[in-house]
Amino acid sequence: MTAPHVSTSSTPTPPSTAEKAVRPDKPRRYGPMGLALTAAAAGLWAAWTSGIDPAAILRGPEQLVRILGLMLLPPDLGTVPDALAGMIESLQIAWVGTIIGAVISLPLGLLAAKNVGGRFSTTMARQVLNLLRSLPELVLAILFVSMIGLGPLAGALAIGLGSIGTLGKLTAEVVEGIDRGPIEAAEAVGGERFQVLRWGVLPQALPEIMAFWLYRFEINVRASAILGLVGAGGIGGMLSNFLSYRRYAAAGTAILIVIATTIAIDMVSSRIRRRIIAGPRGPKPTADPIPSADAL
Amino acid sequence: MIRFRNVTVEYPGGVRALNDVSLDVPAGELVVVVGLSGAGKSTLVRTINGLVRPTSGTLEVDGRDISSASKAELRAIRSDIGMIFQGFNLVKRTSVLNNVLMGRLHLVPRWRTMLARYPADDVEVAMQALERVEIVAKSYVRASNLSGGQQQRVGIARALAQEPKVILADEPVASLDPPTSHVVMRDLQRINRELGITTVVNLHFLDLARAYGDRIIGLRDGRIVFDGPGSDADEQVFEDIYGRSLTADDVLQAKAEL
Amino acid sequence: MTAAPTQPASARPPKPPISWKVPAGIAAFLLVTWWAGSGRFGVGLSIPELFAGLERGQRIMEDLFDPRWQAWRGLIGPFIETLRIAILAALLGCAAAFGMAVLTSRISAPGLRSFLAGKAVLNVVRSIPDLLYAMVFVAVFSIGPLAGIVALILFNIGVVGKLTSETIDGIDTGPLEAAQAAGARHSQAVRTSVVPSVLPNFVAYSLYAFELNLRASLVVGFVGAGGIGQVLFVALNGFRYDVVSLIVICIFIVVFLVESVSIALRRRLV
Ligand SMILES: Nc1ncnc2c1ncn2[C@@H]1O[C@H](COP(=O)(O)OP(=O)(O)OP(=O)(O)O)[C@@H](O)[C@H]1O
Ligand SMILES: [Mg+2]
Repeated sequence: MTAPHVSTSSTPTPPSTAEKAVRPDKPRRYGPMGLALTAAAAGLWAAWTSGIDPAAILRGPEQLVRILGLMLLPPDLGTVPDALAGMIESLQIAWVGTIIGAVISLPLGLLAAKNVGGRFSTTMARQVLNLLRSLPELVLAILFVSMIGLGPLAGALAIGLGSIGTLGKLTAEVVEGIDRGPIEAAEAVGGERFQVLRWGVLPQALPEIMAFWLYRFEINVRASAILGLVGAGGIGGMLSNFLSYRRYAAAGTAILIVIATTIAIDMVSSRIRRRIIAGPRGPKPTADPIPSADAL
Repeated sequence: MIRFRNVTVEYPGGVRALNDVSLDVPAGELVVVVGLSGAGKSTLVRTINGLVRPTSGTLEVDGRDISSASKAELRAIRSDIGMIFQGFNLVKRTSVLNNVLMGRLHLVPRWRTMLARYPADDVEVAMQALERVEIVAKSYVRASNLSGGQQQRVGIARALAQEPKVILADEPVASLDPPTSHVVMRDLQRINRELGITTVVNLHFLDLARAYGDRIIGLRDGRIVFDGPGSDADEQVFEDIYGRSLTADDVLQAKAEL
Repeated sequence: MTAAPTQPASARPPKPPISWKVPAGIAAFLLVTWWAGSGRFGVGLSIPELFAGLERGQRIMEDLFDPRWQAWRGLIGPFIETLRIAILAALLGCAAAFGMAVLTSRISAPGLRSFLAGKAVLNVVRSIPDLLYAMVFVAVFSIGPLAGIVALILFNIGVVGKLTSETIDGIDTGPLEAAQAAGARHSQAVRTSVVPSVLPNFVAYSLYAFELNLRASLVVGFVGAGGIGQVLFVALNGFRYDVVSLIVICIFIVVFLVESVSIALRRRLV
């Protein structure tokens, strides 16, 4: 997407008392209009040049209903034990991967925070995090499979490495957002760098960082459910086999298990996240914490 | 214009916010409601436009029964009643004009609302409303960029844009400083006089109530304990309403001097 | 807070006892971690294995650090296809997501029934990984970008729908009440008070979704849903790690560019 220029909206000059009753002209706001036009133009270009056959789109719903019918009516109960075992392996991959990611991202994130690391280490840490963030888990999984062989360990390592980028960035942002007060207090009583971190920074930032770890676990459960596609363990390998051999009923059952598990994990995890943020005796916020647009 | 007959409002928690209230407000009057926090002032004005439904009793506005109105009827009745809020309730992220145009929504077809293409007549009414509260120069400014007093005047303009028969104001000056409070109260009084719009205002401060109210209604624990002209409302009456002698907190003047 | 016996204000409160839940939680955490990491029941995490792997991976590493620069011409076409997929998926998916968000926030939902139904649909949509959508839609539409677009549309509905719906939950309901008090219909009240309040956030989430789509199109390409991912898959299967490395570098650059623009835009929006 190209950058549409956002005009700095010119506020009308403050009216003198004599002008109080004068209706101002409607100002033109080019920023939003530019953004909308750019989006529309990009959309038209993409649709025009995509070469997608409109007939295929029209056939889609019918095909989808047919395949969903094959998947769900009736479900293939015979695959349930295997699918459950696969799902459990996916959960294990996500768990271990999240822990790997959390452990490595914490120091990296601290280094990347402007108010903790030095200027050089901050820049370096940020670039490392950016690089890691642009590598999809699936690519990492393929690399690990070719290095240490087929199996869930490759998946866990891929998930772990893949989590470091986002977790590190969020950690840095949380740490940058904390109060200066306690840091200064810890410095004022003559604390060393490590002590300042331990007593001035971590107590404030840790609850939020831990909430992000849990949130990442939710995302990793979804990711680990597909890693099997490249032989990195979990339910994904089974799923892709079922789909390529057109065993739709078995695939449907496995998908249902994935859906049920992720929804259950999300519910438990979001409840724990709220408690971590609000504290055990604190009030219960009604909604999940909304990441700021910058933190995304 | 407004007729309460034995109206009782009980909230789900079991709180009786209004208890057997009967009250008539003739057209064109400016009524000020006073009472302690929790006396039921907000509940009283909010039943008038159906934001709160009476548990029992009947309530008519301009001859139309609120207590038994259907959804569509309620919308029609509400379109004749402008409301002004303590916290202004403006959409902060849009222009002053768009906020005032919300007062025209009952007349605007849904598709026009969705596209934000208002008929020129409605824009004209909105502009005139802004002119009446002397803030038309800010029409295209974001509401969030106005001061509190200016925001409340936009709130008044939004109510005026409805071309209402009744205006309700729930503590319209509670978030404003003393001089601005007087400006806003004078606006309300002027509108009541010039346009003859029946006006019900909840106020916390007694001196404001006496200065601007044609008639004062005292509420205590959901019951009307005083009803009469401002000149009759002496210290003794206020002590009845408040159940204690007056303190500096109860008058704006004293507060301004603190 | 529980009702404590009233004390004189100056009395020191007793230190609240540490609940048994904290050590129990830590123990459970360690136990699960051991179980999930062990070779017998879980993924078999072992450090020696790791180092052995790194040694075996030496040739791969060497190739990765020696990208095949001259192959860049062949990547332009697939990259443009990826861009197309991401644009269409972001536009269509985010538009649909806005509708879902209005339905699934208590504040803006037109009724309890549509609220509950919307919530349920959104939860199911969100629970399915993007690649799984891609697999299913490749089965539906056969191989090609259409499958990728539809897969990412659903992914966007999940992500942007949830974020926007939570933003609506957090807005001030005063203006909505003001619109209703002025006799507006629910739909009009939502359009005039909720939409302007959340629009900047929604646009920011949509830009974010566009970035995610660029990255995800790598992955959906693996199952034949078009774009640069398909090229990457071929390179990986052919053990052409020098090409893989070039593709990864290109993606890094593209994502970095898009992200810079989108962060600059988002700053101005919110
Ligand atoms: N939505 C509600 N649900 C339950 N109880 C309510 C609700 N709104 C008000 N109440 C209760 O009804 C009583 C009257 O409330 P009301 O808001 O009308 O008082 P008020 O005179 O406007 O007070 P204030 O000056 O604080 O605004 C109070 O006891 C209040 O706690
Ligand atoms: Mg009140």
